[in-house]
This record gives sequence, structure tokens and C-alpha cells, in this order.
Amino acid sequence: MQTNFTAEQLADPHVAESEAILRRCVHCGFCTATCPTYVTLGNELDSPRGRIYLIKDMLENGRAADAQVVKHLDRCLSCLACTTTCPSGVDYMHLIDNARAHVENTYRRPLMDRLIRNVLAFVLPYPSRFRAALKLARIGKPFGPMLAGFAPLKPFAAMLTLAPVTLPQPLPQQSQPLAVAKRGRVAILTGCAQPVLDPRINEATERLLTRLGVEIARPKGEGCCGALVHHMGREEQALNFARRNVDVWTREIEERGLDAIIITASGCGTTIKDYGHMLRLDPSYAEKARRISALAKDITEYLATLDLPPLESRGLTVAYHSACSMQHGQKITLQPKALLRNAGFAVRDPAEGHLCCGSAGTYNILQPEISAQLKARKVKNIEATKANIIATGNIGCMTQIASGTAMPIVHTVELLDWAYGGPKPDKLS
Amino acid sequence: MSDVISFLPPREKVLARRSTIIADLADLLPADCLVHEPRELVPFETDAFVAYRRLPLAVVLPHNTAQVAAVLKYCHRYGVPVVPRGAGTSLCGGAIPQEDAVVIGLSKMSRILEVDFANRTATVQAGVTNLSISDTVGPEGYFYAPDPSSQLACTIGGNIAMNSGGAHCLKYGVTTNNLLGVKMVLMDGTVIDLGGKHLDSAGYDLLGLVCGSEGQLGIVTEATVRLIAKPEGARPVLFGFTSSEEAGACVADVIGAGIIPVAIEFMDKPAIEICEAFAKAGYPLDVEALLIVEVEGSEAEMEAMLSSIVEIARRHGVKTVRESQSATEAALIWKGRKSAFGATGRIADYICMDGTVPLSKLSYVLKRTSEIVEGFGLRVANVFHAGDGNMHPLILFNANDPVEAAKAEAAGNEILKLCVDAGGCLTGEHGVGIEKRDLMLHQYTRAELDQQIRVREAFDSQWLLNPSKVFPLDGRPQTAGAV
Amino acid sequence: MSLLLVPTREEEAADMIRAAAEAKRSLAISGGNTRSGFGQQVEAQGVLRSAGLSGIVAYDPAEMVLTARAGTPVSEIEEALAENGQMLAFEPMDHRAVMGTVGEPTIGGIFATNTSGPRRFVAGAARDSLLGVRYINGRGEVLRAGGRVMKNVTGLDLVKLLAGSFGTLGFLTEVTFRVLPRPQDQRTIILSGLDDGEAARAMAIAMSLSVEVSGAAHLPESVRGRFLNGNLSDGPATVLRLEGLAASVAVRAQKLVATLQSLAPISQLEAEESRVLWQEIRDVKPYADGTMKPLWRVSVAPTSGFQLVAALRLQAGIDCFYDWQGGLLWMRMESEPEGELVRHVMHQTGGGHATLVRASDDMRATENAFEPLPAAVLALQARVKQQLDPAGIFNPGKMARS
Ligand SMILES: Cc1cc2nc3c(=O)[nH]c(=O)nc-3n(C[C@@H](O)[C@H](O)[C@H](O)COP(=O)(O)OP(=O)(O)OC[C@H]3O[C@@H](n4cnc5c(N)ncnc54)[C@H](O)[C@@H]3O)c2cc1C
Ligand SMILES: Cc1cc2nc3c(=O)[nH]c(=O)nc-3n(C[C@H](O)[C@H](O)[C@H](O)COP(=O)(O)OP(=O)(O)OC[C@H]3O[C@@H](n4cnc5c(N)ncnc54)[C@H](O)[C@@H]3O)c2cc1C
Ligand code: SF4
Ligand code: SF4
Repeated sequence: MQTNFTAEQLADPHVAESEAILRRCVHCGFCTATCPTYVTLGNELDSPRGRIYLIKDMLENGRAADAQVVKHLDRCLSCLACTTTCPSGVDYMHLIDNARAHVENTYRRPLMDRLIRNVLAFVLPYPSRFRAALKLARIGKPFGPMLAGFAPLKPFAAMLTLAPVTLPQPLPQQSQPLAVAKRGRVAILTGCAQPVLDPRINEATERLLTRLGVEIARPKGEGCCGALVHHMGREEQALNFARRNVDVWTREIEERGLDAIIITASGCGTTIKDYGHMLRLDPSYAEKARRISALAKDITEYLATLDLPPLESRGLTVAYHSACSMQHGQKITLQPKALLRNAGFAVRDPAEGHLCCGSAGTYNILQPEISAQLKARKVKNIEATKANIIATGNIGCMTQIASGTAMPIVHTVELLDWAYGGPKPDKLS
Repeated sequence: MSDVISFLPPREKVLARRSTIIADLADLLPADCLVHEPRELVPFETDAFVAYRRLPLAVVLPHNTAQVAAVLKYCHRYGVPVVPRGAGTSLCGGAIPQEDAVVIGLSKMSRILEVDFANRTATVQAGVTNLSISDTVGPEGYFYAPDPSSQLACTIGGNIAMNSGGAHCLKYGVTTNNLLGVKMVLMDGTVIDLGGKHLDSAGYDLLGLVCGSEGQLGIVTEATVRLIAKPEGARPVLFGFTSSEEAGACVADVIGAGIIPVAIEFMDKPAIEICEAFAKAGYPLDVEALLIVEVEGSEAEMEAMLSSIVEIARRHGVKTVRESQSATEAALIWKGRKSAFGATGRIADYICMDGTVPLSKLSYVLKRTSEIVEGFGLRVANVFHAGDGNMHPLILFNANDPVEAAKAEAAGNEILKLCVDAGGCLTGEHGVGIEKRDLMLHQYTRAELDQQIRVREAFDSQWLLNPSKVFPLDGRPQTAGAV
Repeated sequence: MSLLLVPTREEEAADMIRAAAEAKRSLAISGGNTRSGFGQQVEAQGVLRSAGLSGIVAYDPAEMVLTARAGTPVSEIEEALAENGQMLAFEPMDHRAVMGTVGEPTIGGIFATNTSGPRRFVAGAARDSLLGVRYINGRGEVLRAGGRVMKNVTGLDLVKLLAGSFGTLGFLTEVTFRVLPRPQDQRTIILSGLDDGEAARAMAIAMSLSVEVSGAAHLPESVRGRFLNGNLSDGPATVLRLEGLAASVAVRAQKLVATLQSLAPISQLEAEESRVLWQEIRDVKPYADGTMKPLWRVSVAPTSGFQLVAALRLQAGIDCFYDWQGGLLWMRMESEPEGELVRHVMHQTGGGHATLVRASDDMRATENAFEPLPAAVLALQARVKQQLDPAGIFNPGKMARS
């Protein structure tokens, strides 16, 4: 599509990048059809093509973001279904990243909005703060419906609704010795929210990998991948998270070597695989970040390289929910299902599998209405499979979907750990 | 932005009343159905014919027929032009608005109302996407046959307006052959039903007239379409040729032999490369032209038809013949084909021509097309529905270079004239819109066009419905804002 | 009626029409006049016949497209097609037997009436095969619509509008249409003993299978004996036609039989008998009875056909059979019930349109031959007619009783 930027504008690398992305878009409209917000709201402004056009208009005119544009950009889930659909290879992810940063830099949000975003950015990326906040939320839970009646407070209400009533406690770490010959050495991202909400996922990962002969490195100091703030357009904060992790892993690589950095939350995986791009303009980090991105692997991606033995059927049917960050962000579609089948589970694909469940990081808090509609649609499709269990590879989806159905939902790796000799996941007993 | 093609000058009276009109529309519709902030109107200024753009006065996104009727009645009363919009995938600028027009978008009317398997019909709202019908009835063993490459996104309303076709229309016909009925709103707000679950109708074939009328006769809000039982099996087969001419001649011979496969699609070398890069469908890269031929039916039928086709292809020196071995592979082959236009965006901007020619002229027109485009110093990729002679030369250019853009438009016009002169027509399925409007007199005489214009006036005497489209602005009646 | 005009050149026809328009002299348009008894009676001051505009203009079998002047006898077209192993996909019926008329049906008449036979419900109507026309409007202008290629969306589709307009919008001088290869083989599967409702269900099942049934009719007990010289097996017959390559027909027949055999005893007709049967169905053989008993042709949704008949039987004596998977009813009335009754019951059972194909002159004078239209559509039609035939000279009163 034709663009209209001055040479001066294009001197800014972010604008130049955006321009190159915009030039690829032929305005064919294919992407609208698979966009969850367009499908839900039926307005081109809430579609990828509409957002691309809004961004183009804003950037070409070098204009500060305004309420109208921000409304539609905020509604984007960053699910990247549009990227999977686009035949022209439009890199929507980096376009919306740039646009969000532009919004953050040029637009002053209304007070309540600012407040809630500050709270989220202050709390979520830090496990200790998050744990404390959840305790408070449990006390506040009964007030949720009350807050929901007052528009600016809806996000708080959503937060209270989503907060789980009980939190599983981490099990004491058991460093088992390797039972078989060593096949590799990996680090597992601990992350931020996941260890608080569901420590069982990484416990299962460690057990399984250890049993398979993979040594687990535990480098000190890594933390939130930065995705949460990145999607809020808080670029500097995101880059700082990224730099910290790059440092930690780089040290580990240089000291003892790493074959992979394993990620068990696909949302984080998408971001870590993008570190190379995010830090490309920082000369002291660009090279290191690229190396980290190349080593980042989703747990299923990594397991698929280990040739796990096929197992007898277990008589259980699993509805596999592919997280957006998994299927669209990282284009991992076949491995998780193949692993489950190989481990003796019957696997079903829910209808409309390309549509987001509405979790999308902090989306279910910031856009509770759209998120709730998407959740209901997702749950309906999943329940229609009449499966026994839901499996997925992202903690956000697990929390979101669990809040809408009685079907048990577990991480793919928990099922695999169970199948290959680990304990039965709590949620299934 | 190109400016070779002009729009009707906006009606000053309408522009002057803009704020009143918006306030009135706000009274007629729920808040989520009206878009009027200048910033928010920008994404509606064009469709997939992106070289041209005009901001609309406002956009309404009604939820139901009654709301469409209310808006049309209002616009009729105050002489406000309207432009219907489905998914905005038109390649001829059919959904591009104008400054004094209210865009009526059907995107919120996207429900499938009824599926009736015993009668093999589906009744849907106009904003339902083409593919979602087949997706809905697929598990029961049915499909909706017309399959424009844009079927993932384009709406039934848009398909009806353009009488859209697709790869599989060679056997099953285009939209008009698969449409049983519509509910539509006339410009004055009257709601009428044409056709239904039964075949044919009393009186004139207004349904046939409405199909392909490019939003000039009314706004379709619901449609009843014919469903077909899926064939037992279907298999796309790739035939690679050493020249486009041989491939074109092979198509003519296959049809001439009385063999009608479900689809015969053509790609030349540039198109093969573009599609393969996106879809990784395994198209042969060492040939000059590729035919995707799909046969269907029982194993025996497919074998029988294939062997006859292979025999003909051999006579034309076919270089590679490859049958798809699995459903996944077949899906990839079609994905590549259906993404062809979009995938072209990876290497250049393009405009897509859509003339149809008699099969016997296919080879000649292909050759002339290359000569024309090369004459302008541009490149062309051909990917099209060969079985029915519906060509789609994609003229590649750089949209940020105004000189190239103008050359591309000029080359396009010459190609379309070539198609008409070869005994064909300007457009086989994409419609006239604004793109081919000023070429209409190359295909029709003034009197022929005037007759069409008069029939149009029977529906919309004030020329409020999509008024800048289809008919050249010169020589229109006074009411149509003649220039 | 007075003046008979039989132009032999298009321009001559245009002159005649222009003169008639200037003089406000109405014209009855006719081809072979084999169905003059059809529709409302036309009171016109002259007759314009296409018979003088005859002959095939272009036929390239490899392109599967044929162009002929409007007055060309259908028989001539069919002969040319047969020589090349091709056919008209829409299987137009021959009305002569049922109407008790003589003469040669013309290809222009076929398209002007959008006449289609049994294959229509899967292969489309005459209008779906029509690619382009030359015609003369009510101002006497010679015009073209459409063209000669399969796919054409350039401008408004006046081809569809003119097809089935019964000569009320323009005088066709030339038609260009698509033809199809004649199937190598055909056979008919017969299910015996099903009542109308069971037959509708069986036909729906047949249509849901991927066997490409190209004819689905139900012939109740009362008409069965009038097909194939009484050689159709006993009891009501539900007949399903398969066409195509011989090997493929055999395979599909097997599949069809396997699915349906639990419903009724099944027998089959081989190619020749099958061909005759479908021609008789097409031409409404049971009611080619030399009478003028009212004959209705009703098009409804396939599954409401038998319901309509059952409901109607409570109030009138009718004999009928079904084509198009049950959606096309041919009904011969034993008495002369009001069309109003037929139409009332039809609307109660899901809607459609009922056409009085044959009737006594008395009945034709009082009955709407065509389904009356809602006021808004009628007004629209009148405006359309006005735009093609401003002086109102073509077939006045043909399509609706005023
Ligand atoms: C009882 C009956 C039932 C019919 N049922 C159907 C039906 O179910 N479906 C269907 O599609 N058709 C139907 N028809 C019409 C069809 O069968 C025609 O009768 C036949 O093809 C006419 O050929 P013809 O040349 O004898 O036309 P005619 O009998 O001379 O004329 C038929 C009609 O076509 C018009 N016409 C003829 N030639 C031209 C021309 N050159 N230009 C413009 N108008 C012309 C006439 O004005 C007249 O209205 C029916 C006809 C009859 C009599
Ligand atoms: C990549 C690509 C591939 C394509 N491939 C094909 C193809 O293979 N075959 C083909 O035929 N086309 C193809 N097209 C063209 C386009 O998709 C079709 O014309 C389609 O039918 C348009 O549908 P839409 O919903 O996007 O309508 P729009 O583009 O929104 O509108 C198209 C026209 O219809 C009118 N309209 C829309 N809805 C209504 C309504 N409800 N009532 C009245 N008028 C209405 C509009 O005013 C406009 O004139 C392709 C387009 C693209 C971008
Ligand atoms: S699918 Fe890609 S090229 Fe098409 S409109 Fe969307 S982003 Fe643009
Ligand atoms: S990322 Fe998801 S929500 Fe955002 S525009 Fe793309 S498809 Fe829509």
C-alpha cells in the first residue's frame, strides 16, 4: 500500500520500520476475518486492517495519539491471528509494538486508566508483590460485582473475579540426579505470575526433563520476561526486563553452557524470541539478545526433539487449546498435539481454534467485556469437543478458561510428565 | 493516490448539513452503530482497490434489516448518497465512499439464520463471510460452491453485489447460479423479498438483476443460498508446462474434449514463485506455467478424468504432473492459489485485471498482455481461472512512485480493451466499480449503456445508491449529477 | 388480432417496433407460438413473430457456446448439438403435447419463458445457461446484453431480466448460450411403494449423498401407469437419475442403492428407458391428455411439496406428480378450484409460486396465470417495464391481469 512519509520522519528507525511494514500491506482484508475483536464487534476499526490504517494515518501525520485511536489500539489482543492469516507477510506484531510505544509517549490516559495500568505494571511482573496482591484480592472478591457497576472501575472488578480463591503452594525443590545419560543442559524461565498462580507447571517440567536426562540449570536473577509491560507500550521498562534476563542467561551460557532456554508460558516465549529484535538498536545488547532468542524454546518444541517413546492409549480425550502466543506468535502448532498423541491421549481440536480466549496478558483486566465474550465463545467450543481434559501451554489461558468452565485444565507438560512416570496432576484428581 | 478516475462532486447541500445528518443518524441507531469522528472515518476511505480513497460523511453499522431500512429511508428523504460495504475486499473500488455519502457496513449482520439440509439451503445475514457458510455446513457433508479467493473475508452481500466467482465455479457456477433468494431494502426504505427456498419466481427475474448490480439497486440484508453435497473425493493435480502458450492451449483442448473438471487454475512463473514463497505448497519452480486442475468424485471417476487430461497435457508437452497425496497437501495447493494476490504484496504493489476471453484466445491474450505490460517497463504475474477464460494479470508496480502508478493504470486499461476486442468482457467477477467505469463504452454502445442506466433508475431515481460507480459520469441523466 | 409482422432482418424488426411505438400500437410477441395458451391472454393490435430470424450464427463446440437467431427452431439447435455430443443443460420441456398446440418451438421462446426441465434443480434454469442476447427494446433500439463468455459481470445483468420476461420487455433477436457435453451414460433407480411424504424424505437423502443425482421425481400411483407405456413397476415410483461416464454411473448407482435399499424395493432402468422416462417427465406426459383440465405448475421448497398436496386434497380433487426432489408440482385439477385456494394453501405450507399452465378460456379470463406479487415488487416491476418499453407495446397484460 502506498505510504506518505518524509525523509525526516523516516530517519527515526521506529518510523522507518513501521513504514516498511505498512508498505507490505495490500489492504486485502483477509486478516479481518480471523481477528477476534472484529468477529466480536463487527467494526473495521477493531480489525487488523483498521488498526493498521489508524496507525498509518497517525504516524504519517506525525500526530500524537488521541482517545479515538487509542480506544481501538487498546482493544487489540496482540493475539497475532492476523499475522498467521496475512498472505503478504505484514509484520503486525512490530507495527503494533511501535504504535503502543507511540501511544505511551504521546498520549495522556484518563486518571483511572493510568492508575490501573500503573498498578498492573508495578505488581504483576514481581512474584512477591503479585502474591501479596492476590491475598488482598481474596479479601476483596465479594466487592467485585459492586465495582463492575461503575465503568472506570470495571478492570478492578475483573481483577477480583479472576483472582483464584486458593493458591497452590510450591513443593520443596527435589533435585533428583539424572537417571539416564545426560542429553542436554537447559535453563527454565521461572517468570513472574506463573510460579505464583501455578508452580506445578515448572515442577512437572523439571521432573520430566530430569527423567529424560536433561540437566536443569538454575541461574540466579532472572525474572519477568517483560511481555506485560511491553504490551502496555512501556518500552523502557520492557527493555530493562529483557536486558536483565539476557545478562543472566549470557553469564550462564558463558560459564557452563546452555542448549536451550525452556519456556513453559508461550506468552513469555513469544517475547523472549523477540529479544533480538527488541534490543537491536542497543549496540551493547543486540548480539547477546539475538543469541538468547535463538536458544529460546517452548517446552513442547524442545520435547519434540527428544524422541519420546510412544505409549499405550490412556482412554482419555484432551481438547488442546493452542494459545495465541503459541500458534500465532511462535507458529508452534503440531508438536504439542503430536506429543500428547504419542503419550496415549486422544486429542481434539476445538472449533474456531484460531480465536483468542480473551486472556491476552492483562487484556482480561483492561478490556473485561470483550474478554468475557471471547471467553464464553472459547469455552463453548471447547466444551463441544466433549473431551475429559483441556490442555494448553500458557498460564494466562489456563486462568482465563478455568474461570469459565468446570472442565479441568492443565498445562500440556503436566500431562506429559504424568504419562512418562510423574504424578497425576492435582487438577485431575 | 491516483487521480485518473474522478468521483461525482459531493452534493454541497449534504455537506452543509453534515452535523444534522450525524445527529439524526445517532437518533436512529444504537451508539455502537455510528462512526463519525474524522479520525475513525479514515479506515473506511478505501477497499482493496487501495489506489483510490475518499472519506465518507459517516459510517453506520446496523444490526438488522429494520435499522438498514430506517437509515435508507432517512437518506432517501434528505437526498444523502449511500455506499454499501461488506468486507471491503472489492478489487474495483466498489466499496470506496465519497465525501457526501453514508457508508452502510453490513459487518455486524453476520449471523447464519437457518440451515435447512433437507432442502439444501442456508439463509444468512448479508455480512456473513462466504467461507463461514461452508465451514458451518461442512461437518454435515455440504458446501456452498462459489469460492472467491477472498472467501475467508468477503461477505455474501458483497458476493451478491459482484456476482463473485471462484476456482470451483467452472463446474458449479458463480453466485447468481447458487443464489435462491434475498431480502433487500430499496432506497426508499421499502423491504422486499425476492425468491426463497423454491426455484425461480413469478414475474421478472429481479433476483438475477440484483445479483451483480454492485450495490446500485438496494441493500441486501439476507440471502438464501443453495448448498451442495460434498463430492466423495477431490484431488488437485499440478501440471507444469514449459510455456504459458502451451498451458493455455491445453486448457482449451481439455474443455474442447468435453471434460469439465471442477477447476482449472493457471499460474505463470512469477505467480508460482510468489505463491510458493507463502504457502510452500510444492509448486514446481522449474516450469514457465502451471495448471492446477481439480477433479472430483469417486476414485474411479477421478482416475478416468485424470487419465484423459494427462493425455491431452502430454500432447502439449507437459513437463511435470503431480497429484496431491493427502488432504493436507491439497489444502496447501489451494491455500497457495487463494493467497496469490495477497502474497504478491510481499514483492510489490499490484493492480489486478479481471477480463474474460474466449478460451480459443487465451494464449494470444496472455502473450499480448506480457507485451503490453513490458512495453510500459513493468512486470506482470498471471494467476487466474483458466477454465472459464477469466484472466487476472497482476501488474506489479511501486505505489510510492506516481509515474509507475500511472503506467500501471494505463497498462491495465489496455489489457482490458484487449480482452473486449478478443470477444470477451471487461470484468468476469470483480465488477466495474470505479476502476473500469470509464471503459464501459469500450464494451457497450451508448444506447446499451443508457438502457442499463434506465433500469437502474427504476430502483433509485435520485442516484443515491453507490452513485459514482459502474456508469461513466459523462452522459448520465441530470439526476445522476451529470458532468 | 390483425397485423402479422414477420421480420427477416434485425433492422427490419427494429423499424417495425419503432413504428408501433410511435403509433402506440401494441404487439403480441411470438416465436413458434407453441404456448400461446400460456400466461394471461394478450389483447394486441399486431403480432410480431421471430420465425423469420432463424439460423445458427456461430457454434464452436470446443468453446461450448452456441449463438442462434431467436426464431431458430429448437429442433434445429438440438440436432446441431447432438451431432457434437452436446446438449442444453437445462432440458427445456416441449409444451406441445400438454398444451395441445402445434408448431415449432423456438430457441428465443425457450429463453423468453425461461423454460427448464428436470435437471434444473441441479444444473440451473435456462437463464443460467444464457450468456448473452441481442434484443430490441420498446423504443426500437437494437441492443446487446451479456456476451459470449462464461463469466461476465460488466454492468447490470439485463440477460437475466430478459430471460423469463415473456416478451414483455424486449424482442429477442439473437441468443448466445452455454451448452454441455452430453453424458455418456445414464440410468434410473426406482424406489417402489413410497407415499408422497416418504418419497420426499428418500429424495432428500439421495440429494445428501455425493452421487450427483441429476433428476429426482416422485410419480404417485395415479400417474405411474401413464409413463413408459405402463411399463413402470407397480405402485408409486420414486425415480432418481444418474448420468455421466458409464463406470462412474455404475459406482454411484451402487452407492445410492446401498443407502436407500432399506426404505423400499429398488429396481433400475438402463440408459434407453431412463432417457425416455425423463423426457416424459419433462414433457408432463400424464397430463398430455387432450383435455383442457386446469394444469398448475407449482414451485416450492422440496420438503413442502407433499404437504401442500396433502393440505389441498382436503379441499379439492387433484391429480399430481413431483419433479425437482419434490419441489416442482404438476397438478391437474379435477374440478376448477380457484387459484386463490391453491395459493392460499401454498403460502400456508411455506410459500413458492403457482402458475396456471393450462386452462379453459373462461378460466384464463378470470384467473391469475402467474403468482400475484406483493405490491412493492409489482410497483418495481412496473417501473422496470416502463424503462424498457415506455409505450407499453410489448405483450400488454401478459404477465399480470390488470
Ligand atoms: C403451458 C406452458 C407452460 C409453460 N411452462 C413453462 C415453465 O414451466 N417454465 C418455463 O420456463 N417456460 C414455460 N413455458 C414456456 C415454454 O415452454 C415455451 O412454450 C416454448 O419454449 C416457447 O417456444 P415458442 O417459440 O413456441 O414461443 P411462443 O409460444 O411463441 O412464445 C412464448 C413466450 O415467449 C415470448 N417470446 C417468444 N419469442 C420471443 C422473442 N423472440 N423475443 C421475446 N419474447 C419472445 C412470447 O411473447 C411468449 O410470451 C410454458 C409454456 C406453456 C405453454
Ligand atoms: C485477494 C483478493 C482475492 C479476490 N479473489 C476473488 C475471486 O476469486 N473471485 C471474485 O469474484 N472476487 C474476488 N475478489 C474480489 C472481492 O473479494 C469480491 O468482489 C467480493 O465479493 C467482495 O465482497 P465484500 O464483502 O468484500 O464486499 P465489498 O468490497 O465491501 O463491496 C463490494 C461491492 O458490493 C457492494 N455491497 C457490499 N455489500 C452489499 C450489500 N449487502 N448489499 C448491496 N451491495 C453491497 C458494495 O457497495 C460494493 O460495490 C478478491 C479480492 C481480493 C482482495
Ligand atoms: S491480510 Fe495482510 S495484506 Fe491483507 S489487509 Fe491484512 S495485513 Fe494487509
Ligand atoms: S493481534 Fe489479534 S486482536 Fe490484534 S489485530 Fe491482530 S488479530 Fe486482531
